Amino acid sequence: MNTDTRETVLKVVDLGVSYGETPAIAQLDFEVKRGEFVAILGPSGCGKSSMLNVLSGLMAPTRGRVVVDGDELYLPRSKDPRLGYVFQAHRLLPWRTVRQNLEIVLGASDVPRDTWHARIDEILEILHIAEFKDAWPMRLSGGQRQRVSIARAILVDPSYILMDEPLSTLDEVTARSLRQELTGICQRTGATIVFVTHSIREAVYLADRIIILTRGPAQVFENYIVPLERPRDYDDARIAEVEADIVARVQAPWGLETVKERDVA
Amino acid sequence: MPDLPLSNPIMFHPARWKNWNAVVSGKLLGGVIAISSILLLWYVLSIAVKPWVPTPEDTVVAIWKNLLSTSFWGDFWLTLGRVMASFVTASIVGAAIGILIGMNEKAEAFLQPLLALALAVPDPVYIIFAILTFGTGETAGFVALTIAVSPFVSNIVRSSVQARDIGLDEMAKIYRLPKRVFFRQSLVPQLVPALLTAGRFAFALSWKLVVVVESIGQPDGIGASIFHSFRLLRMREVAATAIIFIVVMQLLERGVLGRIEKKLLKWRD
Repeated sequence: MNTDTRETVLKVVDLGVSYGETPAIAQLDFEVKRGEFVAILGPSGCGKSSMLNVLSGLMAPTRGRVVVDGDELYLPRSKDPRLGYVFQAHRLLPWRTVRQNLEIVLGASDVPRDTWHARIDEILEILHIAEFKDAWPMRLSGGQRQRVSIARAILVDPSYILMDEPLSTLDEVTARSLRQELTGICQRTGATIVFVTHSIREAVYLADRIIILTRGPAQVFENYIVPLERPRDYDDARIAEVEADIVARVQAPWGLETVKERDVA
Repeated sequence: MPDLPLSNPIMFHPARWKNWNAVVSGKLLGGVIAISSILLLWYVLSIAVKPWVPTPEDTVVAIWKNLLSTSFWGDFWLTLGRVMASFVTASIVGAAIGILIGMNEKAEAFLQPLLALALAVPDPVYIIFAILTFGTGETAGFVALTIAVSPFVSNIVRSSVQARDIGLDEMAKIYRLPKRVFFRQSLVPQLVPALLTAGRFAFALSWKLVVVVESIGQPDGIGASIFHSFRLLRMREVAATAIIFIVVMQLLERGVLGRIEKKLLKWRD
């Protein structure tokens, strides 16, 4: 029985996506509650990119509905929801400073202009990049750029933030550091996160719940509640146990005979 | 001695000066050799093809006389005005068409064959038809130049629009950036290098064609002056007028467009 009483931010109902005759998503049904950190886990080619395109408003589904804060995302006269997106690559405008990148996004939202400066300062402070406010993105490291990308997503006070393997392009040390901070940042800002990843350990470490998809065309295989309290330690043995449990569960639906440790980590 | 980056604040460090001197002396030496070669070739030709190729000394004297002549400067400003008018118009029209073709598939289907055709037509054909249509007034030259130059600008800009970062388009859609903001903040800055290249090309083509148009169908301007000297077989004046104009156009291109480029691309430094 679902005991989570938080309001539903995102509701995906009977979602299907096909490219011509080729199905990419067979059927997806799931909900995300406000303030929840949900990881979406699936093998390569299962339709995660198509799902992200639909959830971000870039591509209408072939079938089904996406409801954001009670409003249908793909009805002609529905109001545009505020969404945040952290891409694999940062996708900042390199010819604008960090502050200008954030202001451009704020300008498109209904956040009052007189609060912009304070808001930007606050978010940059939370992400530990306040001193780079007037820097060009090209002057920043990969990790710092991704922090700016996260700041941009949080800044517009979105209904939810989609994160598409945001740590996958960073070196392991930077990824670890950002991963450690990410849950804290989300708790401080109250953001709702849909985090897509290939890494089972990363999903276990970060998420409250993991939606495990089947091989493509995608279907929800399991809604897995992560049975660990916070704060968590990435190298904790209990995380490894949960990871092993998930690996055992996905062997059949992902068509894996054996999963090597290297693939899991 | 260690290599120091150019951004190093120690201005008078010997290693820095050594590098700087090497760069300057390398560039300077190359330039001196190039100009010396041209002068030598010119001198040989002035002896071999006498009297049709004037000697460098005679040309220098003619340049000096031109610089002191009010009629030369009258022609110069007239021609410069024509160059700027056709350059600016062709750049704006060409860039707008290039962006339209690059962004819109239907516009591309319609305009791409016309663009290919426009690029294939020899420039004198535009000039002749414009003179026949509009007569020998200012309009003919202006229309001919705009039609001749803008397809080149369109072609360069279109390629750049189609090679833009689609990731930034998606970012703009997800964050609901208005079209005006997307255009100004994302699209146009990506096109800056192509716009500068197109601008340089359009400027070079404009001033060359303006001189041709003036020599064919205008009573005044640098082109008409060159043609007048040619008819009187005053080749040193032809060379002198052309050299002054070429130098000024180069200064304008490198000076003005170079500064604009530096300012617009400062985020790369």
